[in-house]
Amino acid sequence: MKLGVLLSGGKDSLYAAYLARESGFELTCLITLVSKNPNSFMFHTPAIEKTIKQSEALNLPLILQKTPGKKEKELKDLEIAIKKAIKDYGIEGVVTGAIESVYQSSRIQKICKKLRIKCFNPLWQKDQKEYLKELVRNRFNVIITAVGAYPLDDSWLGKKIDKNFIKQISFLSEKYKIHVAGEGGEFETFVLHCPLFSHALKIKDTQKFGEKNSWRMEVEVE
Amino acid sequence: MTNILIIDTTSNPLHKIEFVNPIRDIVGKCKVAHYTKVTLKKLHEATHIIISGSALGETDYNLERFNWLKNTNRKVLGICSGIQIISLINQNKLKKFSSIGMTKIKTKKKNPLFEGNFEAYSLHNYGIDLPKNFEAIAKSSKEIQAIKHKTKPIYGVLFHPEVRNKKIIKNFISI
Repeated sequence: MKLGVLLSGGKDSLYAAYLARESGFELTCLITLVSKNPNSFMFHTPAIEKTIKQSEALNLPLILQKTPGKKEKELKDLEIAIKKAIKDYGIEGVVTGAIESVYQSSRIQKICKKLRIKCFNPLWQKDQKEYLKELVRNRFNVIITAVGAYPLDDSWLGKKIDKNFIKQISFLSEKYKIHVAGEGGEFETFVLHCPLFSHALKIKDTQKFGEKNSWRMEVEVE
Repeated sequence: MTNILIIDTTSNPLHKIEFVNPIRDIVGKCKVAHYTKVTLKKLHEATHIIISGSALGETDYNLERFNWLKNTNRKVLGICSGIQIISLINQNKLKKFSSIGMTKIKTKKKNPLFEGNFEAYSLHNYGIDLPKNFEAIAKSSKEIQAIKHKTKPIYGVLFHPEVRNKKIIKNFISI
């Protein structure tokens, strides 16, 4: 079965794509929504245009769909992008990185039902700490590109998800009730390398914006 | 001693990860078997049997594989596809009724799985009519949401308790 990947550039969408490929599915294209709203209800926003570099490393075509990022309008734009993927690449389903968000997952399920394609959420309800360990075990090179919850600050930007990160975030999760995998928007990530890539992406430049416990890092990669 | 068997009703390994693994993570030690590979031995060894849900649009089950449900004395919980299968095996038809997202549910009869009013995650294209010898133990405004056999410990829920109501699955394996 041919699948399109709903790609944000972060760990969840790429790990879900990896699990789909490992389960024998054919990944045929990538779909990325570029939201003008940094607080989009549906789509991860930091570093999103860097998915162009990821698509080159994945050797897969990318559908880049712009959206104003207003609550329900962005769903219409997602539907337009998926329709294009069906028409141009013959996808029969999409794979998403949804873990806990019923809001996100149920809206994508509804679009897939309407377009008569399958929806796969292989990270759905996954234990978050176990998930981070799997990422490390499967050689995903993931960095933090945004933080949005106390006590995370700009010192976390650029950190790699490794054993030490998992230890630190697990400690903070117990103390401050934040999601270990950042599912509640506590942090956002970008994947520099993973087993799906033909080559690793290298950071050329970074710029940090924000204050207190709300920071994002623009990353330029090559 | 509790021996839990999860029966996988999904049609591919990627949906198994999505619909079966979350139940496995809640119950802990258990056996998992695809419904086409369930043996009488596995059914006899189990004290609690959970029939998993599956993806939207996957209702083309080989029902003969569930004939054991007619005579079982094991504790059974059918989730989504599972309640549809319990209904079908009891000569009932499914009715077209799609629901995706959170649903408000009211308990209608005292039971060991849940109580009161609560919200649960729905993901289905078909609902059920009440099968013969079953009673409705929970309803939403438009649908039967949970059933129990009148004399046997066989339960079905139309919603997915593994998403926001893990306690229901824990309560089932404690019966």
